[in-house]
Amino acid sequence: MKKYLSKRILSSLLAVIGLFIMVFFLARLTGDPGHLYLPIDAPLEVRKEFSEKHGFNDPIYVQFGRFVGDLVNGDLGYSLRKERPAIDVVLEAIPITLSLAAVAMTIALFGAIIIGSLAAYRPNGIFDRISRVVSLTAASAPDFWVAITAILLFSVSLRWLPTSGMGDFPYWIMPVSILVIRPLGLLVQVVRGSMITALSSDFVKTARAKGVKEKSVIFKHALRNGLLPVITVAGDQAAAIANGAVIVETIFGWPGIGKLMIDSILQRDFAVVQASILITAIVILSINIIIDIAYATLDPRIRHK
Amino acid sequence: MKIKKFSIAISAASIMAVASICSPAYSAGKTLTVVLSEEPDIVDPCEATRSNVGRIVKQNVSETLVEIDPKDGSIKARLATSWKQTDNLTWEFNIRKGVKFHDGEDLNAKAVVKSINRALNPKYDCEIRTKFFGNMSVSVSAVGSHTISVKTKAPQPIMPALMGTMTVVSPNTQEAKGVRNPQGTGPYVFDKWTPGQSVTLKRFSGYWGSKPVVEDVKYVFRKESAVRSAMVKTGEADIAPNIAVQDATDSKMDFSYFNSETARLRIDTSIAPLNDIRVRKAMNLAIDLEALRGSIFAEGVMPQTQIVVPSINGHNPSLKPWKYNLNEAKKLVAAAKADGVPVGKEIILIGRLGIYPNSTEAMEAMHAMLTEAGFNIKIKMMETAGWLNFLSRPYAEDRGPMLLQGQHDNNNGDAVFSMYNKYACKGAQSTTCDAKVDAGIKAATAATGDNRRKIWQEVQRRLHQDIVPDVQMFHMVGFSRVNPRINFTPSISTNSELQVSQVKFN
Repeated sequence: MKKYLSKRILSSLLAVIGLFIMVFFLARLTGDPGHLYLPIDAPLEVRKEFSEKHGFNDPIYVQFGRFVGDLVNGDLGYSLRKERPAIDVVLEAIPITLSLAAVAMTIALFGAIIIGSLAAYRPNGIFDRISRVVSLTAASAPDFWVAITAILLFSVSLRWLPTSGMGDFPYWIMPVSILVIRPLGLLVQVVRGSMITALSSDFVKTARAKGVKEKSVIFKHALRNGLLPVITVAGDQAAAIANGAVIVETIFGWPGIGKLMIDSILQRDFAVVQASILITAIVILSINIIIDIAYATLDPRIRHK
Repeated sequence: MKIKKFSIAISAASIMAVASICSPAYSAGKTLTVVLSEEPDIVDPCEATRSNVGRIVKQNVSETLVEIDPKDGSIKARLATSWKQTDNLTWEFNIRKGVKFHDGEDLNAKAVVKSINRALNPKYDCEIRTKFFGNMSVSVSAVGSHTISVKTKAPQPIMPALMGTMTVVSPNTQEAKGVRNPQGTGPYVFDKWTPGQSVTLKRFSGYWGSKPVVEDVKYVFRKESAVRSAMVKTGEADIAPNIAVQDATDSKMDFSYFNSETARLRIDTSIAPLNDIRVRKAMNLAIDLEALRGSIFAEGVMPQTQIVVPSINGHNPSLKPWKYNLNEAKKLVAAAKADGVPVGKEIILIGRLGIYPNSTEAMEAMHAMLTEAGFNIKIKMMETAGWLNFLSRPYAEDRGPMLLQGQHDNNNGDAVFSMYNKYACKGAQSTTCDAKVDAGIKAATAATGDNRRKIWQEVQRRLHQDIVPDVQMFHMVGFSRVNPRINFTPSISTNSELQVSQVKFN
């Protein structure tokens, strides 16, 4: 297990380094940040002076050398826009996204396990049919539309919830619900599928024949075996949210990493782009390692490979 | 059956619980909540020309020496009580006495000189410098305890208007770097900035002017216009400047006003077939502005005849907008074609996504109208970064004929802030060149009073009638939503500032 883990961590580190180099060069292909930073009416002389001062007109290899040198010293650069170290800006945003992702994924995962298992218990029964229609609709509903509709209904018409913003419990309800919808819809489908297979397996028949209680057959014997594909999909969904719940963050005014990344790309704030991609990559790779560990724990064949 | 009953009970209980727990934070008391579309990156008053910074700090936290009246572009006293031109190159400003900065420092000539020098320091990419003083050599000195002298190398008759952009900060403000807690002389003290969430201001008890009614101000940030308008509707916010036309649906709360922006298609007059004036006139005749107004553009927009709005000094009110006449447009195209002008050559229309509401639809409609008149137009819609590559010099040598979707904002009182850049032969964003226009811009820039206005008006006439460097579209309108509990009327200046001291409660 230790060897397996070390191999996974090493390959993840190589992926981060490769990604970082790629981001550096791709970001610079988009053009000079001065074009976006300075006002549209700024004279040509001011533009030249700006590029020289910030080293944007140096050859790309010089800029890369400077970037690697800073990185070795633990410096991820300075945000041109916010006039602060880029890492500070990113570290302010990442906990917001991670807390949203954690709450949303916990609800989605547990909800999907319960709904999917119950649906699989009687395939094509009434509960299964309803859950299939609802989960498919949820998985394909556009976040943007659902969010705006929810605001108009629950905030403007019913006045039950605040329209947006961060705060105590009421402020979490709409953003988390919107984030839950898609993974929940997908996961219900996956749990249902894998549970139908598991429930028709020989070991389940054996358990039933031995007189094991039905609840225990579903949630203990079948579920443990049916969880493997669920973990893969849940991991992907968690990574997608951690990568930035951009729409939810933008509409509800939660200043998370997704919104920060998009804004900094549009403004060519290179240091923030690099720092946010680095931190996000580390988070996603960590999620992947956790999934691998969970996989190995649940399936002895993987540990022993 | 049991499960069904249980589910119904749970659902009912959840709804009731949510309804009882949740009570949104409604705006109340003497606190004003303003919801802006974008959080500022920095709140240094030196960046106050950026609308998201200006709406928070300009004239609230940090004041200017003079201010421009949004109604007619006239210049009014603020931190300067009077000003005069002592020679061609020098202006003197008398500074108001008895004024304190928020950190307790006195406002005097030395403090103002230090503040101006900080803004003009090339080590700091302050937007006031890069936008208004980039090409100018300025030296400022104190000539008395409360008098400053501003000298330039070339005559600057509009120096008072320029000082309407120059925010004054405390002498203790750090040099060459933006600040996150500005100290000015305004009616509100910068209180707190919670990144990503809010900025708050508190009323300044030592303010030199009359005491404003609003005690505290809270700025929050929501990118989506529908959310901003919903916040005012529900009472969570009091003012939402700049909402989209489709969200301005409540006549009791929504205000429409000219926002000092002017929309046009810039014509590159140096390249065939656009170098033929008949072609440029035909393009203007081919656009049915009335069909665009009230459909793709808001009902309140005004067909434009020049790049500056009516309240700006130098606007020529005698000019008439182009009237849609497709037959006449076709005749002009045919006449040009008969003379060998390659009117069928592909013309690229560079559009910018989101430059104004429905910008893509506007380009598609204009594309159809121009095509009907016989032009071969191809649209390329771009993000801001890509579009900027076509906006300013140096232009690509091998470029083809091109139209550029643009929108220009000038609420600084005088046409000079627009004309050189947009229409002079060497203007950074000009794609036209005419000796008479150049001479007019030079003469108007150096002139004063009525003479200045007349020269500008003649330049506008020549551009509109004799040069035709644009497909002229509209003077645009903005929409703001205002909570009925307050008394505040948005105006042209709401585009760049929002003076909280003008807000009263009903």
